[in-house]
Amino acid sequence: MIWFILGFKNLIRRPTRTVLTVLGVAIAIAVLYSLFEFQQGYQSRLKGELGALGAHVMVVPKGCPYEAATIALHGGKWPRYMDESLLDKVKANPGVAEAAGVIMDAVFPPGGQSVIMLGIDEDYMKLRPAWKLRGSWFTSDSSIILGPSVAEDSKLEPGDLWTLPEKNETLRVSAVLGRTNTQDDGFVFMPRRTLQRISGLEGKLVLILIKAMKVDQTDALVASLKADEVDMNVFPLSELLGTISALMASTRVFVSAIILIAIILGGVGVLNTVLMAVFERTREIGMMKAMGGSRSDMFKLVWAETMLTTLLGGLVGVGLAVVSSRLVEAIIRGMIPYAPKGSLIGFSLPTMLFCIGLSLLLGLLAGFYPAFRAASIKPIEAIKTE
Amino acid sequence: MDRDQETKGSRDRVSDLSLGTREPLRCSTGAAEANPAVVARGLTRVYRRGAETIRALKGIDLDIQCGEFVGVVGHSGAGKTTFLNLAGLMDRPTEGRLTVLGHDVGKRGAGFDALRRKNIGFVFQEFYLMPTLTAVENVLLPTMWGRGNGEGRMSNVELKGSKHRAEELLNLVGLGQRMTHKPSELSGGEMQRVAVARALVNSPRLLLADEPTGNLDTLTRDGIFNLLLALNRDSGLTVIVATHDLSLESRFTRVIRLEDGEVKNG
Repeated sequence: MIWFILGFKNLIRRPTRTVLTVLGVAIAIAVLYSLFEFQQGYQSRLKGELGALGAHVMVVPKGCPYEAATIALHGGKWPRYMDESLLDKVKANPGVAEAAGVIMDAVFPPGGQSVIMLGIDEDYMKLRPAWKLRGSWFTSDSSIILGPSVAEDSKLEPGDLWTLPEKNETLRVSAVLGRTNTQDDGFVFMPRRTLQRISGLEGKLVLILIKAMKVDQTDALVASLKADEVDMNVFPLSELLGTISALMASTRVFVSAIILIAIILGGVGVLNTVLMAVFERTREIGMMKAMGGSRSDMFKLVWAETMLTTLLGGLVGVGLAVVSSRLVEAIIRGMIPYAPKGSLIGFSLPTMLFCIGLSLLLGLLAGFYPAFRAASIKPIEAIKTE
Repeated sequence: MDRDQETKGSRDRVSDLSLGTREPLRCSTGAAEANPAVVARGLTRVYRRGAETIRALKGIDLDIQCGEFVGVVGHSGAGKTTFLNLAGLMDRPTEGRLTVLGHDVGKRGAGFDALRRKNIGFVFQEFYLMPTLTAVENVLLPTMWGRGNGEGRMSNVELKGSKHRAEELLNLVGLGQRMTHKPSELSGGEMQRVAVARALVNSPRLLLADEPTGNLDTLTRDGIFNLLLALNRDSGLTVIVATHDLSLESRFTRVIRLEDGEVKNG
């Protein structure tokens, strides 16, 4: 303990130098923590979003299936459609337990908030057993169900009238969906035929969600559906998760390499600072040895000082990462094509302990050489030469 | 309290050092004549600085007995510091034989750090106090060393005892009211008193002082010198002081004059 107390007192002798050194480590650790947390948050949220679809297989029109999947997850406008008749073919497949056809459209009023609409029918409810409606299912072709976020923003309750921006269409709210904490919270649901009419997409679908009869036979179902129809993309959601995860993993390798370089540079910075301090304190260290301090004492003193520096860097870095998580998340979201909704960088004790442990390891490595130099100083160096 | 009074007060209390749980400061309990503190025979120390060879000590012979208050005097470059470094087990002779407190320095081994820590106190011209530590913490510092080398962790009782001793020593050197002051808040004389207290904290049997008054004004110099003198007279501590201040010569019980690495008397 004495080594850490002396080390701490030495650190505060040169506060500016200490702060800059600690900051170098802190920034590297903050980036590392953010990346780890983002990766874990991304995987977890993506699984959650895919799970919320309540389906095992997704059928989308020909085109990039992942772009379609992104639209399916977050809603939007995708100018590719498939014929509604495909839904009957899918339903006829013996491996299909449930199938729901979905049409999707969005309006983007200038200066206003975008409105994402999903045209669904009763089959969709079968994939959403956890849905709780405040109000009733569609009572007519002109009724809608509002996601809770939309209802809150527009301050509408069941029975109120809702006007679709730019379409001059007035519909009545039949129910408000209970909060699901998924993408559904931000959608406006209406009967499929109604949205097809409003959007001029009669007989078209954007998406078919399928629940397999047997989950372990999903691959066979996908193969069977592909064989039946060539005009659509069929893929299991597990494949989508795997593909997006693989894409993220490839970027992680690249980003990890950059972080590793940042950590090494931070370590070299610490080594340089502590070594400089050892050189400056040669006489002081020599005096301590003259007073009976052993090689081991001097080694531990400098090593403790280095570990304190990097430990402080680790703690500050983790704190910095947690405090700036929203900002970092916003920046990363702006740079990648698809990110699940919700907070991705959070408070994770294992990640924190890993980062702090890594900062201690950095201190152990960076402090070894300066500590060795301090231990090697001869006490005679403290005495003036004649 | 002015410095003279402080010094007198300190001198009056020096004999108290032998009290308490620690052993007295004497280098031996036996007769002084039979127990030499330092014995040098043909002691030679040669340094190489690049192509240049410097013979700092040229085969000197001398004996310093326990309980002596010895001044090693001479001009700069005479070999005073070299002799103190050797006597303080911080350096090894190139030739000859040197025995310090009964230990042959030529056979220097791993135990010499502990020997120095437990038996030899140092006072330097420059005080080398840790600027971040208070006076009492600076005095306490040497008691912390060596704890990882077989001496074990300091128990709370030991720590309390060491702290009590550090406070006792600061009282002794007249700094009872300055214990929690940092070096930057102390005068040069006060810093040197802290350094003397630090040198005494492990109850050494031999006190080596290298130009201890070199950085001090005359009045403060006398205060520090009187303190060292009182430590020797009242506690029997063997004190060797290297100085080039000729005005102090008459106050030592014995003077060893070094000139160009050789003893001119002694």
